Amino acid sequence: MMRWPAFSDPVHDGQRHFRRVLAAMAEPGTLHVAAAPAVPEDAAIGPALWATLLSLCDLDTRLWIAPGLEAGGLTGALSFHTGCRLTAAPEDADFALVTPGTLAEPAPLFAEGSDAYPDRSTTLLVVLEALAEGDAWRLAGHGIPDTRGLDLGEAGPLMTRLAANRARFPRGLDAILTCGERLAAMPRSTRIEANVADIRQEECPCTSQ
Amino acid sequence: MYVAVKGGEQAIANAHRWLADRRRGDRDRAELSVDQLAGQLNLAVDRVMAEASLYDPELAALALKQASGDLVEAVFLLRAYRTTLPRLAETVALDTGAMRIERRISATYKDVPGGQVLGPTYDYTHRLLDFLQLAEGEVPEPARAEAALEACPPILEQLDAEGLIEREVDDGAAPYDITRDPPDFPVDRATRLQMLARGDEGYLLALGYSTQRGYGRNHPFAGEIRIGQVEVEIVVEEHDGPVCIGEIAISECQMINQFAGSREMAPQFTRGYGLAFGRNERKAMAMALVDRALRAEELGEPVESPAQQAEFVLAHADSVEASGFVSHLKLPHYVDFQSELELLRRLRRAHGEPQSGGDEDSSEVADGGSGAQAPADTHPPSETEQVAP
Amino acid sequence: MNGYNFAYLDEQTKRMIRRGLLKAVAIPGYQVPFGGREMPMPYGWGTGGMQLTASILGEDDVLKVIDQGADDTTNAVSIRAFFERVAGVETTTDTAAADVIQTRHRIPETPLSAGQVLVFQVPIPEPLRFIEPSEEETRVMHALEEYGVMHVKLYEDIARHGHIATTYAYPVKVDGRYVTDPSPIPKFDNPKLHMSDALMLFGAGREKRLYAIPPHTRVESLDFEDHPFEIQAWDAPCAMCGARDSFLDEVITDDAGGRMFVCSDTDYCQKCREEVA
Repeated sequence: MMRWPAFSDPVHDGQRHFRRVLAAMAEPGTLHVAAAPAVPEDAAIGPALWATLLSLCDLDTRLWIAPGLEAGGLTGALSFHTGCRLTAAPEDADFALVTPGTLAEPAPLFAEGSDAYPDRSTTLLVVLEALAEGDAWRLAGHGIPDTRGLDLGEAGPLMTRLAANRARFPRGLDAILTCGERLAAMPRSTRIEANVADIRQEECPCTSQ
Repeated sequence: MYVAVKGGEQAIANAHRWLADRRRGDRDRAELSVDQLAGQLNLAVDRVMAEASLYDPELAALALKQASGDLVEAVFLLRAYRTTLPRLAETVALDTGAMRIERRISATYKDVPGGQVLGPTYDYTHRLLDFLQLAEGEVPEPARAEAALEACPPILEQLDAEGLIEREVDDGAAPYDITRDPPDFPVDRATRLQMLARGDEGYLLALGYSTQRGYGRNHPFAGEIRIGQVEVEIVVEEHDGPVCIGEIAISECQMINQFAGSREMAPQFTRGYGLAFGRNERKAMAMALVDRALRAEELGEPVESPAQQAEFVLAHADSVEASGFVSHLKLPHYVDFQSELELLRRLRRAHGEPQSGGDEDSSEVADGGSGAQAPADTHPPSETEQVAP
Repeated sequence: MNGYNFAYLDEQTKRMIRRGLLKAVAIPGYQVPFGGREMPMPYGWGTGGMQLTASILGEDDVLKVIDQGADDTTNAVSIRAFFERVAGVETTTDTAAADVIQTRHRIPETPLSAGQVLVFQVPIPEPLRFIEPSEEETRVMHALEEYGVMHVKLYEDIARHGHIATTYAYPVKVDGRYVTDPSPIPKFDNPKLHMSDALMLFGAGREKRLYAIPPHTRVESLDFEDHPFEIQAWDAPCAMCGARDSFLDEVITDDAGGRMFVCSDTDYCQKCREEVA
């Protein structure tokens, strides 16, 4: 019916979704389910990511979109609902819409901030094929009492890039991970280890459970 | 028996009711109208608009009324309102050269194209209280000139044509917006001017004055002061050329300052710039002095005096910020004070002790005097230290 | 409320603050500059905390506001009334029942739980400010992790007084990286910052900075091997509830030097008295 659906109540839906993202970023690796709006027709992103764009983007933000992810009416819907500006320069982006493969070398050079202004960095909004609790990736660091585990499906290039964050801290990229209605986050401070023995290549589709 | 204080809510409500009564004053006297304030206390209204960075004489007058004439409070009221307003458009840069002049003077030339125009000024008034104003006297109409003023080209342009004064060029960069983004020191001149334009007049006056007394001297001449109406224009899509949306009164001051030069560059006069909403001549002049002082580093002058230190000057110029933080000392600080008290008592006990005593045993410490400082029946709480878990 | 958005701030301002909060949480202890707005209350009276609260608050949240640990101090009453008016949210004095707690100068005695958010009002967010007044300089010190001056300052205290003479706003190191001002809480509260279950957000309105300590984050109070960090303790229990584990305010009871000590956390004191009764 509506080509460009969005929050039915922008103020309160936006607030609720932001709190989920905030909780996800504060406790990396925890899973959150977005009571999310329908996505724009034929878009390549799921409801959790659409809700994240709606709640964080506006006239003051610049978004970089990886080739292929602008499918369907996404850019039209974004500009209609948020007014956010698209940029072709990854280093200018406040947010970047990516898949794990986008981070494969040679990867776009996103902003990592500087030692003096580490906040001037790009936040990755990642479209995953799987996102579930699991053992493929062990996470530690702030917000994690001991360690936490996630399965992300095929996410090698992304996780290699995020694991490199530690060495450059406080510079780095923060990532909001989404799959369908699910959402988790991995800030730059998270320590990441691949659980090599336990990586299972089989899919753990996010629509299960 | 001690009972914790309650009823803050009622106390606050009563305080505000009392305040409203005090504001209204004697009910047998006519209430001031906002129109009266805007019309008859117009310089106070202008100052409120300038420091609140909102051009709205009616609301500034309302703020003044609501604040019982407390200018700093009125500025705060209007500023807090301003921040809630949507941003609908950005104006084209004001063209002060095209100002409808009501006052225009220069201290650097005896006569200038367009002439010296005194306008409505307190200058040359004898500061004698006019007791006639205690009674209700009629005020005569102002004298009106037969012809409209000639065009008044900006005086500094004359010098500019000769290369005697530094040329100011628009680099086309979008100015930083101090109302939307926090200042990021060091800040450029456009940002500094924004911050000075909403800075407290008294503060800028004192700083500007300090430069005249040798703390960062820069030999100013009042090149031109002009006050009058300028058109405010915006660009509208599907419309050729900018559209005028109204007029505002502003005060502009261009100071001409000592010349600088180097082996590569011939000596030139330098500039200090001041601009304020409304009729705010003193503010515009003080601002121009401080602007020039803040250019010390850029112009290769030693930075030695308070008015030349950008972070110091700018971080403390805003009266809303300053009055808020000073007044917050009225808020309870019981907890921090208690923490200090506890430490001070401990340090004082330790002070009288022999060095070898090791850690204090507070129950045996006599505090220098008679030792009877606490009544025997209250339990003198002797604080001790514990290591945090 | 007539003419104002839910929780007073417009949505664009909230989004700006929300984006800043995500950065703050991702870089614990780092002060994120943000475009602080004027609030209808004076700077220095909690405008930073209020902007953060307004940006995170939802219609189903239960809000608690304290100042000096107490729900009934005038500024706490005033801020609570503001949010009741502009957001229509439910408020409480019960620490455990609150989703969002805005505080000035204290951390509640009742341990916070997962999901709760504690919002601190911060006057001077820069822990190095009283050693180095220039923002340009302190920014470089943080970038280079150059915190020697802070230790020198604390050590000068020891040399002069035999003790570290900082009793509140006692600097901490967050997650092993940033030296951070915990706001003017007494050092008694510092251990509560360490590995908390709750999310802690800090807002400085006048200085236009926000920062965060996420849950389960290491927070160490700066100290020396021979002068370990210590907290205040009292010999006497609270004169009203008998608690021995809470921060006590001194109350002057007469003009003959009489005084007593009572919990600064009014909700905790009340709960303790109910338990005894």
